[in-house]
Amino acid sequence: MISDDDLLLYYYRDGLDATERARIATALAEQPELAQRLHRLVAQLDTAADMPDVPVPAHIQRRWQVALTTRARPRPSFRWQALAATVAVLAILATVWVSMRPAPERIANEPSQPAASAPETVAYERGLRWHLASTEQRLANLESAQPDERAQLIDAIIEQNRMYALAAERANEPQLARVLRAFAPILESLADERRESAASDIAQLSFELRIMQARLKAEAEPSSTAQPIAL
Amino acid sequence: MLTSLKSWTRPDSFHAVLSERSVRWYNACLRITRDADLAADAVQEALLKAWDRRDEFRGDSELDTWIHRIALNAAIDLMRRRRPQAEDELDADLLLAAPHRSPHNEYVQQAMGRDLITAMQRLTAMERQTFVLKHVEGWRLEEIAESLQTNANNTKQALFRAVRKLRVDLDVWRGES
Repeated sequence: MISDDDLLLYYYRDGLDATERARIATALAEQPELAQRLHRLVAQLDTAADMPDVPVPAHIQRRWQVALTTRARPRPSFRWQALAATVAVLAILATVWVSMRPAPERIANEPSQPAASAPETVAYERGLRWHLASTEQRLANLESAQPDERAQLIDAIIEQNRMYALAAERANEPQLARVLRAFAPILESLADERRESAASDIAQLSFELRIMQARLKAEAEPSSTAQPIAL
Repeated sequence: MLTSLKSWTRPDSFHAVLSERSVRWYNACLRITRDADLAADAVQEALLKAWDRRDEFRGDSELDTWIHRIALNAAIDLMRRRRPQAEDELDADLLLAAPHRSPHNEYVQQAMGRDLITAMQRLTAMERQTFVLKHVEGWRLEEIAESLQTNANNTKQALFRAVRKLRVDLDVWRGES
């Protein structure tokens, strides 16, 4: 008896040794009903896999083009932006490490307590606040930046924003992740400094960043009666 | 001659293949992640990674095929980096929590068909990825195992489980139609 699993592997020409393949090939040649079974099986799976393609949204397509253009642009050999970004990331990592390191007395007093996620959350929120503030500051610097510097600033903001969107997702903050992702197409469109709406986009982004910072701050204050972050 | 041989190292080659083939990359990643944002991120990661590593591309396959493969691996990697719990919530989101769905995800769901979505919904991430990579993308079991950071036997078993679940669901669907 040849199983459907083996029939499938035979169809894929994968995962069977030569002896097994030969045995199934002989059986298929001799038994029309087996060949029909294989045909039905493949047809079913083709149906399952037959999902029509969906078009790529225009803003996503534009985002990819901008990302590629930015990456392909010749860069100076030494980049202060890269150095600044590296220092910032190292600072975040150091903060996370220090926050997550248990105090000696806690180790002694709480031997069986599971690891708390609070320090990690605090570090994450601190990092997020830093990201929002530094993004606002960088946006403010855009207007006075030279074209090359402007592109690098936007590049750095986008990369940092992507990193925090992923972090938000991991921190189980899907709404925050969505909001951060929603910034991406606007940030990418800022790369085109000729756009007439660039200034209003920057103003709008800065406004939204300030709102997010205010909400985070309100949530962090212990006496506050603020609601959880509703973005 | 050298210039023409290495035409893929120019940005315009990448832009050209991006314009022509990105729908295919995006949809392939969408089948892996079932999330429009993650699929878009995967394609962007692949595009930038391919650009950064363009000197490694030998030209013995199409640039499109090379980026397609990197995109699938990026999609798998993004799924792995996402916490399993969050993924479960996302799956539930996609089907049930309409207010949390993005318009694009909603459109994707309509286009793909609710029945197929439901059938795919019952698969675990590993089963879905294995099925898509094997049946749609034609990867070897060993390649899938390497990408999913498991062994060939686990991959084979995940494929069989996926096939069994899909056949049951699609039989039900056909019986009702």
